[in-house]
Amino acid sequence: MKVPIETTVNGKVYKLEVEARFTLLDILRDELKIKSVHRGCEEGECGACTVLLNGKPVCSCLVLTPQIDGTEITTVEGLLKDGELHPLMLAFVENDAIQCGYCTPGVIMTAYYLLNNRTEFTDEEIRKGIEGNLCRCTGYVHIVKAIKAAKESRDSGNWW
Amino acid sequence: MGKREKRLVSGKGWYVDDISFPNMAHCLFVGSPYAHAKIQSIDVSKALRMPGILTVITGQEVVELIEPLPATADFGALGWHWRIPKVYPLAVDKVTFQGEPVAVIVAEHPYVALDAVDLLDIKYEPLPPVTDAIEAMRADSPLVHEEWGDNIQIHLEFNFGDVEGAFKEADRILNVSWRENRVSGFPIEARGCVAWYDESTETLNMWCSTQVPFLLQQCVSQVLRIPTSRVRVVVPDIGGAFGNKDSSYWKDPVVGLASILTERPVKWFESKREFLVTGPHQRDVIWDGEVAVKNDGRVLGIKAKLIQDLGVESSNRGPAAASLVAACCSVPNAYHLEGLRIDAYGVVTNKSPYGAYRGFGKDKGLKFMERIMALVSKECNIEPAELRLRNFIQPYEFPYKQIQGYMYDSGNYPAVLEEGLKLAEVDSWRVKQRELRKQGKYIGIGVAFVVEPAGTTVPYCAHSGLVQARVRITPDGIVEVYSDRTELGQGAEATNAMVVSDILGVKSDDVVIKPVTSDMIGIGSISSRGAVYCLSAIAKGARELRAKVVKVASALLKEEPENISMNDSIIYSVKNSGKKCTYKELANYAYFRPGPRGLPKDIQMEQAFLLDVLTSWYSPNTIENPTSTYTTFCAGADIVIVEVDVATGVTRILEYVHVHDAGKIISKGIVDGQIYGGVVQGIGEALSEELVYTKSGELLSNSYADFVMPTAQDSPDIVVGHIETPSPFTELGSKGMGEAPIIGSKAAIINAIEDALSPFNVRVPESPATRERVRQWILQAQQR
Repeated sequence: MKVPIETTVNGKVYKLEVEARFTLLDILRDELKIKSVHRGCEEGECGACTVLLNGKPVCSCLVLTPQIDGTEITTVEGLLKDGELHPLMLAFVENDAIQCGYCTPGVIMTAYYLLNNRTEFTDEEIRKGIEGNLCRCTGYVHIVKAIKAAKESRDSGNWW
Repeated sequence: MGKREKRLVSGKGWYVDDISFPNMAHCLFVGSPYAHAKIQSIDVSKALRMPGILTVITGQEVVELIEPLPATADFGALGWHWRIPKVYPLAVDKVTFQGEPVAVIVAEHPYVALDAVDLLDIKYEPLPPVTDAIEAMRADSPLVHEEWGDNIQIHLEFNFGDVEGAFKEADRILNVSWRENRVSGFPIEARGCVAWYDESTETLNMWCSTQVPFLLQQCVSQVLRIPTSRVRVVVPDIGGAFGNKDSSYWKDPVVGLASILTERPVKWFESKREFLVTGPHQRDVIWDGEVAVKNDGRVLGIKAKLIQDLGVESSNRGPAAASLVAACCSVPNAYHLEGLRIDAYGVVTNKSPYGAYRGFGKDKGLKFMERIMALVSKECNIEPAELRLRNFIQPYEFPYKQIQGYMYDSGNYPAVLEEGLKLAEVDSWRVKQRELRKQGKYIGIGVAFVVEPAGTTVPYCAHSGLVQARVRITPDGIVEVYSDRTELGQGAEATNAMVVSDILGVKSDDVVIKPVTSDMIGIGSISSRGAVYCLSAIAKGARELRAKVVKVASALLKEEPENISMNDSIIYSVKNSGKKCTYKELANYAYFRPGPRGLPKDIQMEQAFLLDVLTSWYSPNTIENPTSTYTTFCAGADIVIVEVDVATGVTRILEYVHVHDAGKIISKGIVDGQIYGGVVQGIGEALSEELVYTKSGELLSNSYADFVMPTAQDSPDIVVGHIETPSPFTELGSKGMGEAPIIGSKAAIINAIEDALSPFNVRVPESPATRERVRQWILQAQQR
């Protein structure tokens, strides 16, 4: 069964008719060709498909088509400005926080939410903030370091 | 800098699931719900009538179309008990593990394939399964492979040095037993591939998430009866591998077959459940033995029995039957040992196939040894670090021939451990430990030391020393690097580029690392061999190319070769600043200006490969010492402080220190990343990860919710230190690394828990040390 939906993804409005049983993950990847959203466990455990839905991080594998109608979605592609990397992304590159890269876009979206919603935080709070994103490569140390570096960017006004 | 990383962070990755072709179909492997059953019949007619279903392939059909899976290793040639089963990617008349594929559905959409599963009418006759290695060794056990007559795939006996002499000389003999339960790597990206049989070139093109495209090509070629030159494997970005994407590609040939039969490109991207249920599993070992020690703590000899549960088998659907050999041979670790005897069994059960996971097998012997050191430390009342210092091979003894025949290249073990002790402030933790015990708080100090054999090159086995690299300069002055070194997130691309850029004096932006394909001969990124074999071949190629560049530049700039240098993509004379050219000018000259006014004749004679160098590389160590099946030996010391809550069984990590000696370091950030990631995987194995099977052979931990990997919150900050003792056996002095941290951290944490619980006299018998088990051990010890 197909249902009509309207959603704004990375600032662009889409009117689609898609299968009701498709997930937001399916729609982003297969219909809109947004490839940063990675298919991980598809059970809401790993966070590789994390996107912002109305500003909040969600596992896009757990959101069904009818729930998408009228929402606003942001993925890492939406953080680029004229093709330029967001300071948060740059912090990940500069701090060796990307190894295989499969979890990275999801972690970025969670970290982006954290940085936009908390003024101050400890290392412990960063770790708690990203605990919904599993990473099997980095042991999280470089990721925590990158988020701290991004916070400095944010505090110095280098942010969007 | 960070070309690849910038691409990945902004969503421009190119993983196997990102590959899409017009008209592409999707396939789904339908797995058996039973661990052991006869297949009575499969009726696919209803599914075939469903719209969107292209075909359904069953095991019975497959036998007609393809060859059985080839073996990855056959040590039968050495006279060892080594059985190779005849198996196909799909079960033919009997299933031997839960999830074993019985059919493949090819459909227009993955959801349509899922819908069709319920339309398959498959009748099974359940057979009694065996899911425990000890039970599988009994005479009355159900048989996994009936034709064998028992469940022993492998039996090895190793006798190194003078075991009897060591036991005669001993002051005391200690009993030791240790068990590691079943785990695996399970990277966030599961396995998958896209296959497209192109009829116009009669070539099967495959894009696979694999560490080993060259080996995968051989397998597909043999199974599908297509000449190797008509099978081409391309490796896209890989979302983690950890050995799980080594030779566990047994489903991939079926995807190729599906493309041939449907005349369509076909994608297979498995679900996480399929990965956990049918993916390669690891560890699951039981050790029992005796240790001969002197009262001063010197370990003289070890006699042990090893039982390794290989699941259904691990020679054709995985590469890890051979890990039994590595497990036995790695026991001596960093220590002087007079004798070692191991009686080792690789047992088959009705569980998922065994494969490679970070550590492969080396980890098992090393952890056994580090558990022995914890025992000796306690029984002889010697501090764990002091005990190791007394047993260490000393820096002046390298290269050191260890009793099993491994030629240790170089090392400074005391320096590595002492740096760790300093960073962890172990002495002050000992004082705190005594004080806290009075308050009912139990902290433990865990030490482990690991010498990681890296860079496998095993005879009678696909995992040989094959490697090839090509470094060439394009007519527009770009340096291209082709190699077998697949990028798994371990920094292959970055370090390849750094080495080449450094040797040739070109900007890193002017170096292009080409995607790895099966065109390059080589075993790929396994066994931490990247910095051993692949980088050696690349560096050797770059150095040969540099010599050629100097020759051409000498002719072009009319300058003596010894005065030519290069930096920042400019080639110049060190004597005359006016004499210089860009790489682009040089390459253009070399490629397109032959003839009398161009290059001199002797240089032109080399024209065919003037700026194009192909190299291979072989370990000088292994040529001289055929028993040394690894080339470099890095070392790591892990020191961890834990607190065990004896009321709840919860273990909390208070401090973690890892000191590593990986020889010459190419990139500190990358080496550190390997350490952090490995340590945390070891923590997961030590505390929470476990593949639990029911008696009937059903995998209970079949999702990330049940197979509990560490989150950021479960993981500690990690203090890292480095010592650099270059390897004399590699081109750059670098050593393979990346496995020691997962090995050392698991052993150190188990040792720390045991130390914390020493007032209760708990011996930790197995891993993971879940909170339930910790409570159980305390209660059992109290009842004794």
